[in-house]
Amino acid sequence: MHMKTKKRWNLALIASLALATVLSGCGNGSETEANQTYDPNSKLEFTWLNILHTASPPTDVIKNKLEAYTNSKINFSWVPDASKEERITTALASGQLADVVTITMMTNSTVRNSLKSGLFWDVGPYLDSYPNLKKIPQEVRTAASIEGHLYGVPFQKNMARSGLILRKDWLDKLGLEVPKTLDELYNVARAFTEDDPDGNGKNDTTGFGDRSDLRYSSFKTLSSYFGTPNGWAVDENGKFTPEFDTPQYMDTLQYSRKLYENGYLTRDFAVTAKTDQQQQFAQGRTGIYTGMVDIASLENMSQGLQKGMELVPVNKISNGDGKYHVWSEGSGVGGLLAFPKSEVKSEAELKRLLQFVDKLLDQEAFMYMTGGIEGEHYKIDEDGSFKITNQDKWQADVQPFAASRPSEVTYKLKDSNPRKQMANDLIQENDQYAVLDPTVPLDSQTNNEQGTELQKIVTDATFRYIMGELDDTGFKQAVQSWKDAGGTRITEEYESAYKTSQGKS
Amino acid sequence: MKMSNEMKLADAAALGLEQDKKAVKKKGRYGIMRNKFLYLMILPGFIYFVIFKYLPMGGLIISFQDYQPYLGISDSPWVGMKHFVRLFTEPTFFMLLSNTLILFALNIVIFFPLPIILALMLNEVRHRYFKNAIQTIIYIPHFMSWVIIVSITYVFLTVDGGVVNEMLAAIGLPKISFLTSPEWLRTMYMAQIIWKELGWSTIIYLAAITVVDTQLYEAAEMDGAGRWRKTWHVTLPAIRPVIITLLILKIGSTLDLGFEHMYLLLNSLNREVAEIFDTYIYTAGLKNGQLSFSTAVGLFKGLVGLVLIMLANRLAKKFGEDGVY
Repeated sequence: MHMKTKKRWNLALIASLALATVLSGCGNGSETEANQTYDPNSKLEFTWLNILHTASPPTDVIKNKLEAYTNSKINFSWVPDASKEERITTALASGQLADVVTITMMTNSTVRNSLKSGLFWDVGPYLDSYPNLKKIPQEVRTAASIEGHLYGVPFQKNMARSGLILRKDWLDKLGLEVPKTLDELYNVARAFTEDDPDGNGKNDTTGFGDRSDLRYSSFKTLSSYFGTPNGWAVDENGKFTPEFDTPQYMDTLQYSRKLYENGYLTRDFAVTAKTDQQQQFAQGRTGIYTGMVDIASLENMSQGLQKGMELVPVNKISNGDGKYHVWSEGSGVGGLLAFPKSEVKSEAELKRLLQFVDKLLDQEAFMYMTGGIEGEHYKIDEDGSFKITNQDKWQADVQPFAASRPSEVTYKLKDSNPRKQMANDLIQENDQYAVLDPTVPLDSQTNNEQGTELQKIVTDATFRYIMGELDDTGFKQAVQSWKDAGGTRITEEYESAYKTSQGKS
Repeated sequence: MKMSNEMKLADAAALGLEQDKKAVKKKGRYGIMRNKFLYLMILPGFIYFVIFKYLPMGGLIISFQDYQPYLGISDSPWVGMKHFVRLFTEPTFFMLLSNTLILFALNIVIFFPLPIILALMLNEVRHRYFKNAIQTIIYIPHFMSWVIIVSITYVFLTVDGGVVNEMLAAIGLPKISFLTSPEWLRTMYMAQIIWKELGWSTIIYLAAITVVDTQLYEAAEMDGAGRWRKTWHVTLPAIRPVIITLLILKIGSTLDLGFEHMYLLLNSLNREVAEIFDTYIYTAGLKNGQLSFSTAVGLFKGLVGLVLIMLANRLAKKFGEDGVY
């Protein structure tokens, strides 16, 4: 009996100790006194719910460097990009958040509703007290706000990254110029299909490679070359029109349909995944690829498969009028670094975390997250160009951090791969042609709730039109059913939100 | 005197009754005590069902709310039937319902009898090693995930370079876009299910067949029955209760048409026949974050399943079988 009691006491002791540890862990860094100043030199320990864009989480090499540089201890909780929708919504649903949460799905209704409900700190008023955060341009802040509140530090990305990659060696072989207009592009697609660009005497090439994605693959990019508005058009009276209700969108549809009918577009594009699309290109089965940022990885993939493969990135294709347009993803905002009030309890704690984010924007931290450690992962050549020296080590240590950089636009690196550098320059150049989506800073409750479901109506109709299973009337009907099922309400809500925002400024 | 006698009788009767009751009570308590270990063995299962099956049902309440995660169940606004009204008035509703029910019917009508036939055929195989080899081979696809099954199909059926289409082209037939055409979706779906699950589903039937009394076969042989007659008049009637039970269980579970399987087959061009409740719940609910609405859809799907299983059970009883409850 005595033994038993003793045992129980021991257990209670352990439990209370464990509890105390947990409590102190939570309380770490949270200053509860009314005086909301913070000690900038204090060591910061925090958790970060972050998105992982690579197959496995990074090693501790860069994390240790960042911790030393920012005087902090970071506990990462990585969410694979592919499952971010479930994981982030579940995290929001269960309230199991971290001190810092990376939010990339700004249009997801759970995310939007939780942002709007004030679950996170409005950081707008604090940004100007930090040297780097201060420099975030006003347009970016506006684009990242919801109803005038900035619920996190915006990830700064390039305005518009879209563009084409073409087989330069095929162009040269067929005596073609790099296309500048849509007609020339069409001709290139035709020639790549019919004129045996690989010279093996077999009819085994297709002009356009594509995949089951309208937005991040060819269709949306082509549509902006035709001058289609990005998502929505707004006229001077504040009237909103969805992109698929414009004549330019119809032009793009017809263009794509012609490509498909004549076999200049891969027959299986509607069921092709991104990796398959890249493989097709790397194996020399297709000659046009959409997505300039992938140029280096396409070169890597084709090594040993395609002799003499030369690529050229292209961003300027006009509708014949010499004007260029490229759609912009999120107006240069890649998401938010948000701070939940449930975890970050005091203003002082928030300020200390913002100081950390500000430090991440320093060049030294940027280089850690971009290239790793100089001499170990990368080197800077005499001409100042940046080259990753140990690709495998870089992928294991550094790559997962690249997408967590609060800004990809502040510092410029000269890439030692000239094609990659050219693609980077063109992305830079895209800034001036960027077509913004006017609804990015606006809010529509119906769109939050049903937008994705409704969008399917139009997406499906677009695919079917391109594949010749739907005619003009059929497509118009689909647009009409989009309107009837809630599209009209979305339009009205955007219009009134737009009016409110115009009235404010 | 007479009266008192009657009273006595009544008393006695009452007393007797009471004693009876006591006996029953005693017996009942005794029963529990006597079988206490059996009850103890049921307990884990009972607790499992309460914790993982019954308590979560309380969460269904969010289908009547505008559930906001950070407000929780207690504070989320109550909206009554709003989500159900939206579900029933949405244009996709009849598409979802009919797609789900058609695939359900195909599963029952086409897939369900196949394992029975296969089991009967395997039963007739006399060579033991041959039979075992066949069984092993047809079980294997069951252990592959849907991702693999669908990927293999994909490689076979693409228009550019898919084996099937290349063969069609070689014999001069037009290529068929199996993966994107709505007409082929259901065929493809059923073929994949048959391929994957047919072998595995024969297990219970084979087990049921082995316990059939061999005397019955001998008697049938005496009466001059051949193999076909023995199968029809002895084996099938003997495994009939198993068939009925499995049918009811199947009906109960078949409405879960396999989210993973359908989600992999679904694309923009076959959506009109491929979108079922499960895929819709995933895209609307989890991906788009509409927890209340998708709970409402799930609840409705559950109700449809309940109705189907009750009908099946009643039908089974009508045909003189036991049913499952």
